[in-house]
Amino acid sequence: MNGFVVFAAKEVREILRTWRIWVLPGILLFFALTGPVLARYTPEIVGALAGSQLGGLKLPTPTYLDSYTQWVKNLSQIALFALIIIYGSIISAETRNGTAVLVLTKPVSRAAFVIAKASVHSVFLAVLVVMGTLLTWGLTAAVFGKAPGSALWSSAMVWLVFGVLFISLMTLLSVLIGSAAGAAGAGLGIYALVSIASIWKPLGSYSPAALATQPASLAAGKDAAVLWPVLTSLLLAVVLVAFAAQAFRRKDL
Amino acid sequence: MSAAIQTTRLTKTYGEKRALDAVDLVIEEGSIFGFLGPNGAGKTTTLRILTGLARATSGSVQILGHDVALAGNDVRADIGFLPDVPGFYEWMSADELLRFAGRLFGIGGAVLDERVAMLLNLAGLGDVKTKIGGYSRGMKQRLGVAQALVNAPKLLLLDEPTSALDPMGRKDVLDMLTSLRGRTTVFFSTHILADVERVCDTVAILDRGRVVTQAPIDELKARYGVQKVVIEVTDGGDELAQAIGRQKWATAVARGPDGAIEITVTDVGTAQREIPAMVAARNTGMSRMEAGEVGLEEVFVELVGGEQR
Repeated sequence: MNGFVVFAAKEVREILRTWRIWVLPGILLFFALTGPVLARYTPEIVGALAGSQLGGLKLPTPTYLDSYTQWVKNLSQIALFALIIIYGSIISAETRNGTAVLVLTKPVSRAAFVIAKASVHSVFLAVLVVMGTLLTWGLTAAVFGKAPGSALWSSAMVWLVFGVLFISLMTLLSVLIGSAAGAAGAGLGIYALVSIASIWKPLGSYSPAALATQPASLAAGKDAAVLWPVLTSLLLAVVLVAFAAQAFRRKDL
Repeated sequence: MSAAIQTTRLTKTYGEKRALDAVDLVIEEGSIFGFLGPNGAGKTTTLRILTGLARATSGSVQILGHDVALAGNDVRADIGFLPDVPGFYEWMSADELLRFAGRLFGIGGAVLDERVAMLLNLAGLGDVKTKIGGYSRGMKQRLGVAQALVNAPKLLLLDEPTSALDPMGRKDVLDMLTSLRGRTTVFFSTHILADVERVCDTVAILDRGRVVTQAPIDELKARYGVQKVVIEVTDGGDELAQAIGRQKWATAVARGPDGAIEITVTDVGTAQREIPAMVAARNTGMSRMEAGEVGLEEVFVELVGGEQR
């Protein structure tokens, strides 16, 4: 347990003192700051750019729900892609640099090494999503004059479960595939498959695949049954990390 | 005295390639053990298995009485390890790295403060405040030795600890290893014969995955190092060398860089009697005749260097 805590504390300090504190937070901060403003002024921007080409077409007046939808779509696409690419080396960077050898020849088990990394980065993602959602919420209220929280927070928290699932997936892929680019490519491929699978109703209702589309529905103020997809996603996240720990335990370093 | 390390028919294969082939080693507690072999002999593979970083294909390893495949944290708590190319978190300073390493062993408080200060001093990094990312290879190697000692290990495993060091750094590390004699078992791999000869009491020579020999250095020299006689003559050295080479007791004759004739002999007494007679028969003057000291290098070359590689 001691080794787990000390290694997890190292992981936190590494986030705070390396590029990790800039990249994903920077991406989320950018979307949180620009999303509500873009949502509010999209009709004006489109009108100014298109001039008379749109003729009599009139875009609907934007609401706070457009701001929420913008935030969750950014999370579901660009932020998730960035997450997959960044975490393609979550384990393999340490094995490649020799730092895994430094740690694992001391009283730290391989399972503790893997679980500490997946846990710390899941918490890191949660902190970023909460902060980004708070910023979106505040800016939406400022720009639109009203911002009821339930649609925004329910959609962001459901997406967070999806994000944690992908951190777990990337942890496993980074154990199995030594190349960061290879693991990221596999992660993107799995995301594409999950998105396609969500079209099939049984998977789209009960499995983690549902979380590819349901956060956007929630953000738009629609009802979505997310209990089963959230439960199966959390279960799958635990199973993936357990597989990662087992595979790492059997790996020659 | 019990064994700090014992391997039994330790074998490691990568596909068709047999990196280690039934390696049997016994390293007594408290000894400084040199693990010698040419590049690619399997030294690093052995160390990776000893530290639990790799799994043996077959055979077993006992470290400090534990089966290394099953022991986990229990055995790692008593080990210090320096890999051949140590990896560090480059955003840390040396002080931070040593504190991190110490905390992984459960060390804290005043004990850790004191130990970190002592080890930074030992590594010559006490005044260095920059991040590890800016260190030279020698500085990293010295830091690697320091982190391997942070838990005051019962067993210190070092993979080529002096290979990246300048002469002063190398001397410091070897002196430090010597100072551990009797308190800590030291197992270090190297291809630098002089280092082994200087600090080790026991040595094993590994060649192409097989232990060619293991013994105390003195015993090894006596067993394998056939004695050597060195003579210098005033003239006719080439002809004399050829004549000596035809004698039964001379297994090899070579000319030294200063013109000396170096004769490897099976019977030094007979050589000492017959060589002066051969010199006198040629009416040649002899300016020097001595029994040359047999070094580990000769043993090493005899055991692994003679075969076509």
